[in-house]
Amino acid sequence: MRGSGFWVLGSRLRLLALLMACGGVASAQSIVGLPAASTGKGHVTFAAEVVEVPAGKAAVVELRFRVEEGFHVNSHTPKDELLIPTVLKLEDAAGVKVVGVEYPKGSAFKLPGDGETLDVYQGEFRVRLQLVVPKGQSTLKGGLRYQACDSAACFPPRTLKVDVPITGK
Amino acid sequence: MRRIAVAAVMVVAVCLLFWAGWHNLRSRRVAMQQAQQAQVTMQKDNAPDAMPDMAITTNLVGKAAPGFTLVDLSGKKVSLADFKGKPVVVNFWATYCGPCQEEMPWFEEFTKKYAAQNLVVLGLNLEDGVTKDVVQKAVRKTGATYPILFADDKVGASYGVGDYLPVTVYVGKDGSVTEQTPGAPSKDEMEAHIRKIAGGA
Repeated sequence: MRGSGFWVLGSRLRLLALLMACGGVASAQSIVGLPAASTGKGHVTFAAEVVEVPAGKAAVVELRFRVEEGFHVNSHTPKDELLIPTVLKLEDAAGVKVVGVEYPKGSAFKLPGDGETLDVYQGEFRVRLQLVVPKGQSTLKGGLRYQACDSAACFPPRTLKVDVPITGK
Repeated sequence: MRRIAVAAVMVVAVCLLFWAGWHNLRSRRVAMQQAQQAQVTMQKDNAPDAMPDMAITTNLVGKAAPGFTLVDLSGKKVSLADFKGKPVVVNFWATYCGPCQEEMPWFEEFTKKYAAQNLVVLGLNLEDGVTKDVVQKAVRKTGATYPILFADDKVGASYGVGDYLPVTVYVGKDGSVTEQTPGAPSKDEMEAHIRKIAGGA
């Protein structure tokens, strides 16, 4: 009988401990995510994420960029040779081999009035990298060169710093 | 006795659960408030509506247009003072700028339309590291035949021009600035500004 009572008490306490542990985990989480980074005057942000890929094999990693609302940047292949394309330049990182870089297709953006139609990125766009990474931690560093405009005017070309922490597993 | 002990433990457990829930809720509210404040600040700083304020750093309206002497595409020196007594449009532009090239054919059209009023348009290219070949390509594309000058940051700063292009400054016959416009206006707006300095066509 005593053993049974103890068992009941133990079970309830275990339940309590479980509930409290869950409560503890919930309150330790980042509940509302603050904006990752301000676009500042650059009008483009990079969503830095920790990347885990299999070591020693070709893996695809997507880098996510966001153009501020009301602005656009030229795509990687603008229709006019005078326009500055969006280009990702990566530095050599120890042991990390960049096999390929794939840019998304642009969308059509017509300048007001009888204006020409441009090929641009607006909102979020993703650049896909094909990488072979060594085991352990590496950081791929580089920059995204782009040139931003709104519908009436443009800003000079800028380079956004891009650091990608990668773990090869 | 054992039942009393179990009941007491249960009461303490329920109290602890309520406390944990209340604490969690309070943390959520604080985090939510911080996030909302941060987002409001970001929207204020980055709103496209704020651009025109940043685009021109000096209000020149009613003041004498700053003088300059710059080199044109053929290497000839051109000064603002060369056009004393004439209505002058000073247009800052760049080769990478689509809206700039959109309005250049309109300036070309208006130099002809307002030729009897001696309208002068000067295109001041303002960009770092651009080559003469690239500027010539852009000028050919737009069909502009008015003087294209290579501006420097000093001249840009004297007209209050920042990073935002195009910027157009309308200068009356008396040499004073009547209007500064950041960004490409509509063709009608542009002509209205020209009429102010040149009179009717």
